[in-house]
Amino acid sequence: MKVTILPAREIREAAAADVGQLLKELKLHQDAYLVIRSDQILTRDVQLKSTDEVEIWPVISGGQG
Amino acid sequence: MRCIRCKAPANVEVRRHRSAFCSGCYPGWFRNQVQRAIESEGMFGRDDKVLVAISGGKDSLALWHALLQLGYQADGMYIRLGIGNYSQHSQSASERFAAKHGLALHQVDLKEEYGFVVPQLRNQREGKPCAACGTVKRYHFNKVAVDLGYDVVATGHNLDDEAATLFGNVIHWQTDFLGRQGPVLASTHPKLARKVKPLFRLAERDTAAYAVIERIDYILEECPMAVGAKSLEYKDLLNALEERQPGLKQRFLVGFLRGGRKALAGRQEPALIRECRECGQPTTGEVCSYCRMRQRKRRQVESRMAARGS
Repeated sequence: MKVTILPAREIREAAAADVGQLLKELKLHQDAYLVIRSDQILTRDVQLKSTDEVEIWPVISGGQG
Repeated sequence: MRCIRCKAPANVEVRRHRSAFCSGCYPGWFRNQVQRAIESEGMFGRDDKVLVAISGGKDSLALWHALLQLGYQADGMYIRLGIGNYSQHSQSASERFAAKHGLALHQVDLKEEYGFVVPQLRNQREGKPCAACGTVKRYHFNKVAVDLGYDVVATGHNLDDEAATLFGNVIHWQTDFLGRQGPVLASTHPKLARKVKPLFRLAERDTAAYAVIERIDYILEECPMAVGAKSLEYKDLLNALEERQPGLKQRFLVGFLRGGRKALAGRQEPALIRECRECGQPTTGEVCSYCRMRQRKRRQVESRMAARGS
């Protein structure tokens, strides 16, 4: 499936049965990202197909203030 | 996974609560968490005027949106920090949100009004201006709130921010900071606004999900000055633990607020607040940290110019 990682819109090809596996394969913490398909946020148990196109949005911001 | 409220397919899982919600039910759960935080900590009431510190990111805009939906009187304030394209994008996102909802957004422009920008405040040892930037924000948010008669300043600090700050304060044993850390900082001087953090029960992932579902147009890009910041390292470590122990960040923070903080706070003498000799703003010293920082930078520029001239 085609995976677009924001904010840089880096495009990767990945194979995973579900959202949880996809994040594991990409070595991303599930509390640090949202996985979005067709404008819908997906929970980690959602099954994925090889034809899917998903976006991964980071949620962590830093600095001090 | 199904929504615990309506049984429709879920969109957002909140693992620490063993819950999941669909897009329709999630915003209500999120706002309920904000309302519970406001009430349980006595942050402010319906008649209070709230000034929300706005950065253009998901947390501050989600907070502003949620407060308005809950029926509070909330205006925004944005500081033009002068961090290149990042500042331009964050200013645009803040202005777009205010215009879309017909809201007042107060602004301070550091370069035009004070003659400096945040990248000039880099710490010589770490090469980062994050601590100085925090001083600048606290100073101006407080000053504007007091000058314009707001009862309280609300910031978008969330559970992850607070857990990471606590982690940093613990590993460096910053007992004075630990004694003061909490979701409410009371006003102890007429020129010191009350400060509150209504998102302290909500994780960063929760606020991002709220912003996406409510179609809030926020900036995704990270502040370029924060790359490599310690707070990001602490968040990464805590998220690695949270992966295996859901709820760990919340237990760490809430446990501290219920027990540890009280033990530390009782050991400290209350700080005597006076007015800064230079600017008149409240401080515990003769000169406030904001004026000291600006004096330090002025001296550095003067000595550099003198070295070039000699």
